[in-house]
Amino acid sequence: MNPSLQRTLWISRVTFLEAVRQRFFAFLMVLGAAMVLSSVSFRVFDFGHGELKFIADFGFGGMFLFGSVLSVVMTAQLFFSEIDNKTALTLLAKPLSRSEFLLGKFFGAWAVLGVFVVVLSGLLGAVMWAREQELVALAEQAGKVPVTFSASGLGQFALLQWLRLGVVIAIVLTVSALARTFLFAVVVGSLAVVAGQLQWIAQDAVLKPTGSALYGAFLWLSTRLLPNLQQFNIGDALVLGATGVPAEAVAEVAFSGVAYMVAYLFIGTLVFRRREI
Amino acid sequence: MSSAISVRHLTKDFQIGIRGLKLRAVDDLSLEIPRGQVYGLLGPNGCGKSTTLKVVLGLVSATAGEISILGHPSATAAARSRTGFLPEAPYFHKFLSGRELVTYCARLSGVRPADLSAAVEDALGLAAMTDAADRTIGTYSKGMLQRIGFAQAIVHDPELVILDEPTAGVDPVGSAAIGRMIHAMRDKGKTVVLCSHLLGQVEQVCDRVAIMDRGKLVLEGRVEDVLARRDRHVMTIEALTPAAREAAEAALAAHGARVTSVTHPRRSLEDLFRELVTGSRDA
Repeated sequence: MNPSLQRTLWISRVTFLEAVRQRFFAFLMVLGAAMVLSSVSFRVFDFGHGELKFIADFGFGGMFLFGSVLSVVMTAQLFFSEIDNKTALTLLAKPLSRSEFLLGKFFGAWAVLGVFVVVLSGLLGAVMWAREQELVALAEQAGKVPVTFSASGLGQFALLQWLRLGVVIAIVLTVSALARTFLFAVVVGSLAVVAGQLQWIAQDAVLKPTGSALYGAFLWLSTRLLPNLQQFNIGDALVLGATGVPAEAVAEVAFSGVAYMVAYLFIGTLVFRRREI
Repeated sequence: MSSAISVRHLTKDFQIGIRGLKLRAVDDLSLEIPRGQVYGLLGPNGCGKSTTLKVVLGLVSATAGEISILGHPSATAAARSRTGFLPEAPYFHKFLSGRELVTYCARLSGVRPADLSAAVEDALGLAAMTDAADRTIGTYSKGMLQRIGFAQAIVHDPELVILDEPTAGVDPVGSAAIGRMIHAMRDKGKTVVLCSHLLGQVEQVCDRVAIMDRGKLVLEGRVEDVLARRDRHVMTIEALTPAAREAAEAALAAHGARVTSVTHPRRSLEDLFRELVTGSRDA
């Protein structure tokens, strides 16, 4: 194996071990799991929608909320702990490049979020399958067409969520490479997530004619710099949609996520190279 | 053969605050650290020692000047692959065992898988950490942390070892153990750069010293040369009676020499401490 890749994987491995040993990870994982499991108890509040849709939305919400918090706070913490306690001094004095260090941190944190997404998706799938069996039996008794969910769609949604969290991790690492304090990295990282969720508003606005060239330039730049994190939220169509989502559309969203990840990691590496430790 | 470290006209400024005020940490420093010696870098807090080491290791960029390590420009992977570094007050992942940490650092330093086990065991042995190697680092004492830090610095058999305050906060027994490790490295032909406030230990283990103050080099040379007072001599005499002392002083006066002081030789408190507590290591 390439020595550079080996070094990156060793950093990732230790980063992963450090992260999964943190109480913060366990706490959010338990909260997320509790939210998914409790969706069965709250299904009476389905607001007129189907029960499976309510359970799915509850699960998607848990994955989004706790995954976002985990990816922002944990990534900043993993990065700054190494800088603050001087572990980074020991490591970067070795023949380890800054890009290998940063990428190692990224892959370690992304692997942790992978575990988070797999566990929560697995739980959500199990809860939905169990309820689906009951609903199918009831529908057959009533002579109705049963509502079902797509397990493969849930798998695709989990993959897209993992990509979305990867984009968030890449953004937070880039901010951390620039930031002097943990708090700054968390606040700016959180704002970036919120802005990414609202990026579609700028996308809509940029299509409309505007009188101000400056405003137009701002909108154009916003739509290029910030990823549209909403585009990953196609869970309803993937999991419960009758016709699903065309593979090309899923691939396009995935490609967009990967492109933003690569771009932010590239910028983060450039910034981190100039940082004095 | 090139020097282990060559520093030419190094200057390092730090910008402070939004207005960009400059703080000069190192001011036109030039040093040649020869290979195969133990070199002490001394100075008060804030004199620029640690900044100099960070610039040498490429962790901080120089404002001006040229630095090379073992003939390679510093801050290159080629230079760092032959260098080991123990930072001041090191912190390592508490959940790893000592052996896991040294293995991790060995892999990052480019030790091949085939040589890994032997390299790790050698480094643990030299740092006297073999018995505690399978305990998690969170359970280590301060002295053990320094020793495991030493092990990770030497696991890839570097030609140059840089130790920043390796005995800070360590008791005299642990400090003596680190001194023995430094001697062992010199015996293997390695160059050791030691940054320390413990002047007694530096005097014991270093071949050469450089003293910095306010970012500038104020003295550099062999320890014997910088400490010796060529116009004074010390004789240690057994069974000196008052009559013998008078006769000796008269004889010396006849040759134009003068006795300026007569005292009893003392051993150091550190020697006494080590003698009394031998065997109470913090293993």
